[in-house]
Amino acid sequence: MNQRGISTVPALVLATAAAMLTAVMLMDWMVVDIQTPEPEALHLTVPFPLVAARMATAFVPQEVMAEAEIPPEVKDLKQPVLDALDALLEAPDATLVRVDSPDAQVVIAKQGDDLRISVDAEEAVVRCLIPLDGVRDALQSWDWQSADPSLAFDILSAAPTGELVRVEAEDGTKVAIRMW
Amino acid sequence: MRKLALVACALTLIVAGPTWAQEATRWVNVDVTEASSNTKVEVHLPLDLVLRVIEGVKVENFDAGKVQLDCEGAEIDWPKVMAAVKDAPDGKFVTVTSDDADVEVKKEAGLVLVHVAEKAEDHAVVDVRLPISLVDALTIDEQNRIDVTAILASMAELTDGELVRVTSDDANVRVWIE
Repeated sequence: MNQRGISTVPALVLATAAAMLTAVMLMDWMVVDIQTPEPEALHLTVPFPLVAARMATAFVPQEVMAEAEIPPEVKDLKQPVLDALDALLEAPDATLVRVDSPDAQVVIAKQGDDLRISVDAEEAVVRCLIPLDGVRDALQSWDWQSADPSLAFDILSAAPTGELVRVEAEDGTKVAIRMW
Repeated sequence: MRKLALVACALTLIVAGPTWAQEATRWVNVDVTEASSNTKVEVHLPLDLVLRVIEGVKVENFDAGKVQLDCEGAEIDWPKVMAAVKDAPDGKFVTVTSDDADVEVKKEAGLVLVHVAEKAEDHAVVDVRLPISLVDALTIDEQNRIDVTAILASMAELTDGELVRVTSDDANVRVWIE
């Protein structure tokens, strides 16, 4: 009987660990990676689950949210913006905008359900991925009246696994945001 | 059995063919090349997207896909003007020669062609090529508002081709649909 009790404890611990690991695996994680150049070189990698960030927004003071007032006329844009996003989602993959100048090259392309923006300038190189379907769903559920930090997390949740944003500045500073 | 399969294939093509044709995406293209800054901008957007964005734009003199013409006091019977343009035989409608620019408007093979050649400033040459179907879609209401949405929507039926070309000392612009 005692022997059975002993074997149950490790099994419970193992099951709990497995459950926690599964929960961690199922959660959306955002990883912010910052690297600064010499002489004060710093490499900071901050992984955090979106659910925690979402919960943290609940502690943002109401008066701060009230200050971030959305102009009433913005609400009129809801349907046109959603329609435009639908049209973009329905459109075939293509390079939509391309700017070539001596200072910079900018390319905005639609690829699957994502919009990819790349800027190659003298000051910085920027790569950005916008999940159009996530933006559309987030904007659909937003009331278009109040500032809502969870909007950003809804969009991030819909983002595919991989790099969302990468900025490489001229001075060697690198910032990347990845979804996992 | 083979005959049945052939008939099925033919029926599928008959039914799906027009559907596919209707759903083919039309693209609005704009190329701008600026000589002074050595900059080139290429815009390639689905017509459907342009239409939906235009409908939502609300700025001065432009709302709900309609642009307000500034022609107060002038009583113009726009439907009559449009019908006259549409029914007119091929030929030159307008020829203006001045020190500033030469302007020519003519109708030719189902197209209204506008040619402007500036003689000073940037020496711009503007060529506008409007298919008659666009003229059909060009409606101006009693409040002198042009329905831009209707014009853009009619572009869905156009064959591929150039609509506007501007060449000047400083910049070249090309607008076409495909």
